[in-house]
Amino acid sequence: MSRKLTVIPEQCSGCRICELVCATRHFGVNNPKKAAIRILTTYPQPVVRMPIVCSQCKVPACAQVCPTDSLRWLDGVVRLDKEYCTSCYKCVEACPFGAIYIHEDYDLPIKCDMCGGDPECVRKCPTGALRLIPEAALGEARRLNNVLSYTQMKEIEFFEKGEKKVIRYAEVGKEEL
Amino acid sequence: MSVKSGYFRRHLHVDLSKGVAERRTLEEAFLEKYIGGRGFGAKLVWDNLRRLGFTIDPLGPENILVVAAGPLTGTYLPSSGKNSFVSISPATGLYGDSSMGGGFGTELRQTGIDVLSIEGKAPQLSVLFIDNGETTILPMPELQGRNCLEAEGLIKQRLGTHAVHIATIGLGGENMVRFACVNADWSRNAGRAGMGAIMGAKNLKAIVVRGHADLPVYDLPGLIAEADQAFKYMQEHKYFKLWQQQGLMNVIDYANEKGILPAYNFKDSVFARHDQINATTMVDQYKIGDSACFGCPMCCGNICLVKSGKYAGTVVEGPEYETCAMLGSNLGLDNFAAILSATRLCDELGVDTISTGNIVAATIEGYEKGIVSLSDLDGEEIAWGDEDAILGLIQKIASREGVGDILADGSRRIIQEWPEMDKVILQVKGLEQSAYDSRPSISMGLAYATSDIGAHHTRAWTVAKEMEEGQNWTDDEKVDIVIYHQTVRPLFDMLGVCRLPWIELGLSEQHYANFYKYVTGNEVPLDDLLGLSNDIYDLTRLINCRLGMNHKDDRLPYKVWANPPLTGPNAGRVIDQEDFRKLLSLYRKRRGWDENGVPPAQVAEKFSD
Repeated sequence: MSRKLTVIPEQCSGCRICELVCATRHFGVNNPKKAAIRILTTYPQPVVRMPIVCSQCKVPACAQVCPTDSLRWLDGVVRLDKEYCTSCYKCVEACPFGAIYIHEDYDLPIKCDMCGGDPECVRKCPTGALRLIPEAALGEARRLNNVLSYTQMKEIEFFEKGEKKVIRYAEVGKEEL
Repeated sequence: MSVKSGYFRRHLHVDLSKGVAERRTLEEAFLEKYIGGRGFGAKLVWDNLRRLGFTIDPLGPENILVVAAGPLTGTYLPSSGKNSFVSISPATGLYGDSSMGGGFGTELRQTGIDVLSIEGKAPQLSVLFIDNGETTILPMPELQGRNCLEAEGLIKQRLGTHAVHIATIGLGGENMVRFACVNADWSRNAGRAGMGAIMGAKNLKAIVVRGHADLPVYDLPGLIAEADQAFKYMQEHKYFKLWQQQGLMNVIDYANEKGILPAYNFKDSVFARHDQINATTMVDQYKIGDSACFGCPMCCGNICLVKSGKYAGTVVEGPEYETCAMLGSNLGLDNFAAILSATRLCDELGVDTISTGNIVAATIEGYEKGIVSLSDLDGEEIAWGDEDAILGLIQKIASREGVGDILADGSRRIIQEWPEMDKVILQVKGLEQSAYDSRPSISMGLAYATSDIGAHHTRAWTVAKEMEEGQNWTDDEKVDIVIYHQTVRPLFDMLGVCRLPWIELGLSEQHYANFYKYVTGNEVPLDDLLGLSNDIYDLTRLINCRLGMNHKDDRLPYKVWANPPLTGPNAGRVIDQEDFRKLLSLYRKRRGWDENGVPPAQVAEKFSD
């Protein structure tokens, strides 16, 4: 089962350490503009700090437009075949997340290769905004949050060892049959 | 050893009057001696003053504004996102600088320059756009009157990109409020010493940078190994999570407990309702996200949102301790939502929250005491904790309406206008005091009195240490710690990094000497780096002396020696004037300055190059 690099924007502080480590690891230079992950910040409306990185789509939009078939999904990573890439950048425009980057120093587009399965950015993220989780676990947190914030729940107060607590519950319907 | 890397060796000088930009090469000796940031700024300001014969109007076209990052800015190490704004301050008429975090400094360096200096005055309101190797001055009179956040949005729209970093001024800067700040990335400010007014005087609404260049590093693997150790050390520190969650707001409870939290214009040093404006209140009710400067794992910035009530919808990055104390307890304000609103207003208008908090507080006290009359206040009453009146007065200061026109000129003008206000407002050399009460800490009093930019805490922050372990310090020890801080702390501004990992999490100074070595290839012992930092302290002192600073300007604000705090652990305590004079005299002797605080002739020779 492959693992996915997942972004939790609510936990991102916008520090850009991910950009730094990505560029130093892949290009051996201190240049956040050479990273395959970038943080986009908007403020004050809306307030978002969003790390943007390749989702390794199984049906990649980038691959679909590639005229030389240089992009292919294999073992959880959309890989770029450097030999056949013509640097037309159709992939950069096609990616629905804008997660493929360009830098003037290089002809090839810059895209996440998952660092061979153990992404450096995940290891160095100081706030836990970047995570590597099994594919099957995707959406778990959202599902749970969604259930917990379900607005139709009822609640009662009760006391446990003298401390006031609240229990919330979704009551079964009592419509007439 | 010599500097082998770490710099582009480029100085970009822009003359706004002539509309020209010139790229100059920086000599190796300059890089080695002045390092970067505040060091570059002090030297360029000094050279400009020598050219002018030390006669200068801070708001005249002849004054230069230096924007400089350091060799470590934007590099792979903790909290490397700082840069300095340096000039002659319109608040003090003397040397002034202020640093800012965020991503502006990194982007500035990525355009391929180490230092930017700006002189002259643009014929109309303009924006300086440094796009990699190209520099253009774009007239944008349509930005007039726009607040900092609006201006940033409009400039991005006009340039058709969001991938730029912008340092802008608001109404405060345009109107040359003498404590106007420069705001970048929406909410990071170079707050103190009136750097925003300098931009306003130059008709410069914003500096926009976009750069793609590699930042030169001599030994990147060495730097990464050293930095990874530092990152690990920080993340394992017992207070690391607290800093991520609360940032500087954790200081409110500490300052209140120790009796150094300003309340009611420093009438008191504890605030009864401090629990309504502390970190717990912020985290529980207002915080919606973290915010960090470039490369910083501590993310001390807090993004807050007011979710209900009169101020609902107010989003602000902050407040941090200084802002919360100066716009909160110091104004008798206990409604955290109102403090957030005032902070946001200051961000929008581009005025310094510390000076603004001081001046509004002094106005309230002046009115209470009858020094400032109701007609002086344009018939509008103001009182402690009066949210509407406080927000209204801040707006009037930035737009220079009515009494705001006097208050906007800072404490010097206020004292000229109402001489009795000298006893009310806390300032040194014309800069209003930061939010740490110095009455129980004479070393902090000395730090404020001898700080080169006026009563600011960044040069030496000795109050906590003296409160905790310094009650029996000898005079020598007190002077030592002030000089030690004044030597170490400015080094961070020269290197272009934040000092919080060092002061708050105890990251060792040696790490920084190592970072410097890996980035520049110049192997300099820590003590020598500190020596260079100390030289800059001498240089800024020299600048101040040549600009006519009086030896009496190393002073304590009136309240610090005459009015003790009313309650709390330090009730009744003041700094004794005679003790202070002795300490100051010892301090000058230890620095090698004469009785009047003037550095000897050989100091000037050091900077005659």
